[in-house]
Amino acid sequence: MNSTAMDSKKPHRRRAFSRADRTTLTTFVGVPLLFHLLLVWVPAFLTIVLSFTYWSGISISRIKWAGFANYKNIFFDTPAFWEAIQNNIIWLAWFAGIATPIGILLAYQIDRQIRGHKFYETAYYLPVVLSLAVTGIIWNFLLRPDGFVNGLFGRDIDNAISFFGNYDINIYVILTIASWRHIGYIMLLYLAGLKSVDMALREAASLDGATEWQTFKKVIFPAMKPVNVIVIVITIIESLRAFDIVYIIYGSSAGFPILGTLVFQNIAGEGASMKGAAYAVILFVLSIGPIIAYLRTTFKSDVQ
Amino acid sequence: MSEVKNGISRRSVLKGAAVGGLGLAAGGSLLAGCGSDGTGALAFGARTVDAGPTAQLKALVAAYTAKTGNEVTYNATESNAFQNNLSQYLQGTPDDAFQWMAGYRMQFFAEQGLLVDLTDVWNEIGSQYEESYKIASTGLDGKQYFVPQSWYPWGMHFRKSMFADLGLSADTVTNWDEFLKMLDGMKKKGLVGFAAGDKGGWEAMGTFDILNARINGYQFHVDLLAGREKWTDAKVLEVFKYWEMLIPYMNPNVLDLEWDGAMQLLLQRKAGSMLMGSWFGGNFKEQSEADYADLSIIPFPEINPEFGRDTVDAPIDGFCVAANGTNNAGGADFLKFAGDMEGVQAMLDAKDADGKSIPMTSANKGQDTSTYDAFQKEQLAVMDEAKYITQFLDRDTRPDFAGPVVGPAIQSWFKNPKDVNKIVDTLQAQWDALPPLA
Repeated sequence: MNSTAMDSKKPHRRRAFSRADRTTLTTFVGVPLLFHLLLVWVPAFLTIVLSFTYWSGISISRIKWAGFANYKNIFFDTPAFWEAIQNNIIWLAWFAGIATPIGILLAYQIDRQIRGHKFYETAYYLPVVLSLAVTGIIWNFLLRPDGFVNGLFGRDIDNAISFFGNYDINIYVILTIASWRHIGYIMLLYLAGLKSVDMALREAASLDGATEWQTFKKVIFPAMKPVNVIVIVITIIESLRAFDIVYIIYGSSAGFPILGTLVFQNIAGEGASMKGAAYAVILFVLSIGPIIAYLRTTFKSDVQ
Repeated sequence: MSEVKNGISRRSVLKGAAVGGLGLAAGGSLLAGCGSDGTGALAFGARTVDAGPTAQLKALVAAYTAKTGNEVTYNATESNAFQNNLSQYLQGTPDDAFQWMAGYRMQFFAEQGLLVDLTDVWNEIGSQYEESYKIASTGLDGKQYFVPQSWYPWGMHFRKSMFADLGLSADTVTNWDEFLKMLDGMKKKGLVGFAAGDKGGWEAMGTFDILNARINGYQFHVDLLAGREKWTDAKVLEVFKYWEMLIPYMNPNVLDLEWDGAMQLLLQRKAGSMLMGSWFGGNFKEQSEADYADLSIIPFPEINPEFGRDTVDAPIDGFCVAANGTNNAGGADFLKFAGDMEGVQAMLDAKDADGKSIPMTSANKGQDTSTYDAFQKEQLAVMDEAKYITQFLDRDTRPDFAGPVVGPAIQSWFKNPKDVNKIVDTLQAQWDALPPLA
């Protein structure tokens, strides 16, 4: 589909939809839409409303209006919340600054078909196939005080290296585990995008004498705009909504507080309270904010 | 002459909110197998998937079916998953009878109308239980909602052989100074004196409970958990001061080990003592009979002579009937059997996969304690010595305070013991900020 520089609008194509077409369309769009509304939008809306109430989750008649009490409690009386925010920010910084760039770099190198690229592709993607919970279980077995790694070093349970209990290093241990999977994920997304970049662009760049880095920065990267958007949004979401690995390793204790486990801790079990809903709303706002802002700036330029 | 006491006498269990004076259950004759209202199939939910306890419960179910002909569907869930989902479970399609715990955790759900009133069951089997158990089974409205099964005390566990090596014996560690001397001796031998694990967030509550009860007394402890005393009180700071004295004797990776990690330290002879509940005897037995025979328990040493060793944490596990189950009468009938000596005997007679008996300290007065092995007799001695029984912090106080607030607070104290003032300030602030009980 070419659109010449003169066209400012996409060419309209009107087709008459047959009745069969219409029914098919309505069903295939309508039914998922209904489910989406019922299972995503309605609960999300209810969660936001419930975050302004006191409720233990049992019996609707016991809901009491609380106003901002849950939020006040979280912001002023819960130090674990600020620890969690800190941990999530470090998570985001790590993913954005280290894990995602490594994924992109790997994708680029594999796309250049370096020697052994097929092996690398599979090797780096394998962790993505595992669910995050399984990843957590595997690494828990490896790094526990009575786990494989400590056994390799010949350290017993009482003088083991405390990967998860030493609060100076445990965040980096967790981030490494999370990156193990995240890198492969980003790599694959980027590989798919790279495949669609015209070879001619690259050849033209190298003909013009550009170095690899210049080629990447000035030619490939801008051409990958749709994939870049996805990758950035995924990076933000994955770091803010991280939960599985930390939950598998630490259980529902607040050993390593992040927003995801704080939500769970406050809505699961007998201690359920709508503080959990408030945490969920905070998480939602934190995630949706940057993404909307980013998407707006990105697509604003598209409207030219 | 001290007589072997079946169960516990001279106890008073005070709950924060509940409890007037309840008389002993009118002891009628013991339940005979009278015709029950509950007929037909019912479902039973077990809160464990471990081999030993499962064998016991299955034996109970089999005995009940053999006696009444009612079919029982046995549904087992892992303990943590069961606890996390209990709210939803009880409001949805629960089993008729299920395993649960005494204390505020049970009273809370009774308050919400999710448990069936078992006063009738207690009228028939109540005489088989000491008063303290009936009090522990009573909801906030004065009716019973719980039938006890078993209990275990929290105490200092150690290996008799290791004590002998160090020239110690159980009666030489009765007060704090002797305790510290013992820890010193262990440390010199390169052992971890006081094994501790708090990765799960709840294990260290036992240590807090016992230190608070020893230093400040049972009444202050109960009042603190009910919100009548403040966490910022100097008495609470005393507790942390004593606790800090123990840190040099603990393993360095407290926040990386759960309770079974601490148990491993004792099992592998790397640690000299451990404060824990006595449920893990089976794990020692699995290792070897010799290890199980080596295991011993004594009450936590006295700190304040005014209180001595008068309090013990002894959580009671048992059964409840879910109001939303399909066969309430059947569930109550099953609990009547389970609480009666007949059901208890079925559980005691159960054997594990190797044909060995599974240790269980029953709450029933009828349990023949002469068949108790040495470890169980020591547990009984720990219970007998105590005048007051508490149920453990996460069962004695509000659940939205214990798990989300106290657990992380203790963990952050382990990270930095010097922050104790900030920590107690936050604890008090978060207690004050709790929503009113719905």
